[in-house]
Amino acid sequence: MNPAERVVPFYFGAPDKRLFGCYHEPALESFRRCAVLICQPMGHEYVNCHRALRQLAARLCDAGFPVLRFDYYGCGDSSGSAEESRIPQWLQDTSTAISEVKRRTGLAQICLVGLRLGGTLAMIAATEQGDLESLILWDPVVSGKNYLAALLYRQKEALRFRHKPNSGWKSTTAIEVLGFVLPPPLCAELERIHLLPIGRKPANNVLLMQTDQVAGDALMSHLKQTEAQVEFQCLEAPQIWLPTEDGSLLVPGQVLQSLTSWISRTHA
Amino acid sequence: MKEEAVLFGKTKSLVGILTDPAINNGRGFSPAVILLNPGIVHRVAPGRIYVKIARALAATGFVVLRFDFSGIGDSGVRRDHLPFEKSAVQEAQEAMDWLNAARGIQHFILMGGCSGARIALETACSDPRVVGAVLMNFVLAETDEENANPERKNRAAGYYYWNFALFDPRSWGKLLTGRANYRNLIRVLRAQAKSKFTSARTTSREATQFQSQLCQLAGRKVHLTFVCSQGDPCFDDLQEAGGNELKRLCALSRMTLKVIPRSDHTFSSLSDQERLLEVILDQLGSMARFIRKPASLPEELATVRLA
Repeated sequence: MNPAERVVPFYFGAPDKRLFGCYHEPALESFRRCAVLICQPMGHEYVNCHRALRQLAARLCDAGFPVLRFDYYGCGDSSGSAEESRIPQWLQDTSTAISEVKRRTGLAQICLVGLRLGGTLAMIAATEQGDLESLILWDPVVSGKNYLAALLYRQKEALRFRHKPNSGWKSTTAIEVLGFVLPPPLCAELERIHLLPIGRKPANNVLLMQTDQVAGDALMSHLKQTEAQVEFQCLEAPQIWLPTEDGSLLVPGQVLQSLTSWISRTHA
Repeated sequence: MKEEAVLFGKTKSLVGILTDPAINNGRGFSPAVILLNPGIVHRVAPGRIYVKIARALAATGFVVLRFDFSGIGDSGVRRDHLPFEKSAVQEAQEAMDWLNAARGIQHFILMGGCSGARIALETACSDPRVVGAVLMNFVLAETDEENANPERKNRAAGYYYWNFALFDPRSWGKLLTGRANYRNLIRVLRAQAKSKFTSARTTSREATQFQSQLCQLAGRKVHLTFVCSQGDPCFDDLQEAGGNELKRLCALSRMTLKVIPRSDHTFSSLSDQERLLEVILDQLGSMARFIRKPASLPEELATVRLA
């Protein structure tokens, strides 16, 4: 971490739906004219990616960008429980966070960076806003249906190596994935999410960062049809959102460097 | 219940979330609870279990602080190159200092999972303000050398073979079609057979030190609760290291050992998390009843906290 970086943890948003945020303030002399908002993944992916996204914020801050990381309602340190998780609420939270980072920095230019479901939410929120300067989609979830299926498969695999819960455990209709609950309304909303039908440009400049070339092709072709300036980067890097055998948290230095360079170039 | 983001420590770079009870419900002199990072995972913990624990405890009247050690989660990195085992204890003490200044609390219950449990034990040994600790899936040794211990590796692999592979058709398929790791399987079975017939085990340096720490804390009337997942190899390590001393102290009710059946290291199912919460609430309820009133509480604070 840059010794000049100042990290301010705080709560913001509506009093009944307080969101946790961590603001990284760069040194005054290097302050750029664009603020960055980082949209995190959900569930176990949020836990596994936290370290990498914190490091990304530190690097961006070192490059002069004020950065806000935040937790959606019912996630991380924000208020609410996982049972209350809903996609419309998280989109509202993203919008609230955009307003908060604008208010804190006094800057109008905003770059959204979203990883996995955070990328999906960032793209939808950016399209709704219609005035964002740049957007980074890092291995975004393109099809919510496929994403949900992958989560369920991961849970099934995990159960191979652990005992089944007691029969006495009161079963609910909610789905469980690696210690996180997915309430039925959230599952239904996830199934309906798809990035390809979004026709409008989400931002003036878009970077699609993929660690899996095939997964990014369809979205890349789609984004090129919008009026956005689109760049595609595919880097060989670990899928940091997946659980590791030894419980370690991965930080893909090359990806973080590329993202920082792209934002610095775009907002030179 | 009210949550507040806080910055504390010598360089004001430790990030934490303070959870206060909504109302004073009679726990005027209760110790505060401090949650320590489970390994390198930030203060939310796997399955968001630390958030659930903090909120459940605050609902029963405890003030709870969960924070990140330096270099973990949102906290800044230290510049003094102090080893983690030392800096973590120092930072847990800084958390106590901060709670004392901010809330006038003088006694503390430390809680942590995995290496957080280890730090909780070390801090309890070196700071008299700690009156209790809940140690979840306590890890005896943290060094690479100890983690590479072949006996520990064999035990973990043995647990997998006996509890999962034995009942998994895919594992049998591998075994019968030549795709299994036969060398590993034979090594583990041989090690297990050997340990069954070896009567006198040597006590490691770590185990001797661990038992001495248990005695020291029992002498100071610090109540320790070990919460272990049945499916976690650390449970065997704990029993082996604690030996007869741990059994004796548990029999005397000076310490408690709770096992959560069918659970794993990170309590990765909702049912495990619910049982863990029940155990914690039950244990902390008992601990808080035995905490003596602080003799030197400032008058104005005593008035507030008794109100």
